[in-house]
Amino acid sequence: MATKPQIALYLLPAVALVLGFFVIPLLFIIYMSFHQWAGLGPATFMGLDNFTYLFNDNSFRTALTNTLIWVGVGTFIHTPLCLMVALVLSRRPFMWKFFRTIFFLPNVISTTAIALLWYFLYHVDLGLFNKVLDAIGLGGVARAWLADPNTALPATLLPWVIYIGFGMVIFLTQISTIPTEFYEAVQLDGATSWQQDLHITIPLIRRAIALQVLFVVGYALKMFEYPFIMTNGGPANKTINLSLYIYRQMITANQYGLSMAAGVVTLAVGTALLSIIFLVLRRVDS
Amino acid sequence: MRSAFRSGIFTWLVIGIFLVVTLVPFAWLTISSLKTNQELFSNPFGLPATWSLANYTSAFAAHPLTIYLRNSAVASVTSTLLALAAASLASYALLHKFRLSRGVYVFLIFGLLLPVNAFIAPIFYIIHFLGLYNTVWGVALVYAGISFPLSFLVIKTYMDTVPVELLEVSRLDGASYHRIFFNIVLPICVPGIVTAAIFLMITAWNELLFASILTQDQNAQTVQVGVRFFLTTYSANYPQSFAATVMSLVPTVLAYVFLSDRIIAGMTAGSLK
Repeated sequence: MATKPQIALYLLPAVALVLGFFVIPLLFIIYMSFHQWAGLGPATFMGLDNFTYLFNDNSFRTALTNTLIWVGVGTFIHTPLCLMVALVLSRRPFMWKFFRTIFFLPNVISTTAIALLWYFLYHVDLGLFNKVLDAIGLGGVARAWLADPNTALPATLLPWVIYIGFGMVIFLTQISTIPTEFYEAVQLDGATSWQQDLHITIPLIRRAIALQVLFVVGYALKMFEYPFIMTNGGPANKTINLSLYIYRQMITANQYGLSMAAGVVTLAVGTALLSIIFLVLRRVDS
Repeated sequence: MRSAFRSGIFTWLVIGIFLVVTLVPFAWLTISSLKTNQELFSNPFGLPATWSLANYTSAFAAHPLTIYLRNSAVASVTSTLLALAAASLASYALLHKFRLSRGVYVFLIFGLLLPVNAFIAPIFYIIHFLGLYNTVWGVALVYAGISFPLSFLVIKTYMDTVPVELLEVSRLDGASYHRIFFNIVLPICVPGIVTAAIFLMITAWNELLFASILTQDQNAQTVQVGVRFFLTTYSANYPQSFAATVMSLVPTVLAYVFLSDRIIAGMTAGSLK
């Protein structure tokens, strides 16, 4: 039998990593969110002042709203697109494996590089968008997409919305586990492929859909590169989100207490969204 | 028949649209990176007049790209090895049932659902405290830590398929706890470990937030941090920053060309369970 010290020895590195990068940071930000702290020297206890400040701060409210917009767009626009492409490829059209590989490609490229690429695409003088609009006679629509308050937020969201590869693979994997017999009966009844998707495939992959929404929430809460690189939160904070707000309060403003209070709110939002997903899934399951 | 025809059109319309939106931006970036600044404005769609790698060589001269690429490689490899070691050892320890094993399991994966960007301040201080601020080792250690729960989940799931009887028999043969791990369990688990390794390497190579808060000069900065400097310093030389962006994504894309199926499996491995 393995002895206790042997088991403990093997668990040691793992426990150290989890303590150092999850448990201690979690306790630290909860503790510090009730303090004012400039990063050095003693921290002053402030009670709930940091949270009061945050919810009266316009840029924080925008950051929170924008993060929720990301979750909404991810859930109700991006995820259906992933599902649509997965359903199309699940019928195994000619070269479907090749297309699957191409659609997944953006996921292996860093978000930094993609954000830079789209920054260039949106560029007012040399960007592909404005050049194409010019070429097809719609030069009047051309604009500085990332600097225009009306288009900045949708522009930072667009690359994420259209790169459907990750969700598509999750759905395709799940669809491939559905036995073909499930379809045979309804095919005899003359059900169209759209009806088969709606009545058989989609209900059977509901867990994968919930999982995808879970990833969407995680992605939206962690998203940093797109606003940071494309707009740095501008114009006039139109594109700021929670990650960028946390970063700014810490790095630019040296308001560590506020930064960590914003972190606590991020965790709370995450927990709330997660509970909603589980509740909806349980509803659908029963 | 009519509806089959219609759904055929729909299929190819969807595929066509997503091919265009996926590939055209990258193609445009790559082609533009071969043009001169002047050509970029005068001839935005066409191929470059002369195929020249001038932007690439000048990118290496403008910023220490070689150092950035080296740092990224060191951080990716080190963090991957650390996370794999910690995850394999812990998974093996948990093959043995003991009173708290369920609790330990939950403890080790609870970080899976936490948005780690909320932790930038405490992690910054922990790295400072360890004396690893502004070093590539600090970055590597953080990557190993934040990606540990997912690597553990992947390897543990795989290791749980090792038959208990095999361990029993080896034990009866007199093999020690350590021997069984290194000579029997680890070799069986190579596929699971490779899956986790792929995911770890790619996420580490692509990370920006922690790399930028934990480093402040070029000897520790990774390529994701460095590539931004092509935009922010000097008057922007666009084709040159295009070339730098291309170079930052070449390693992962190249790996993807050869290992696409494995990489897809590795990066979506977290969705298995």
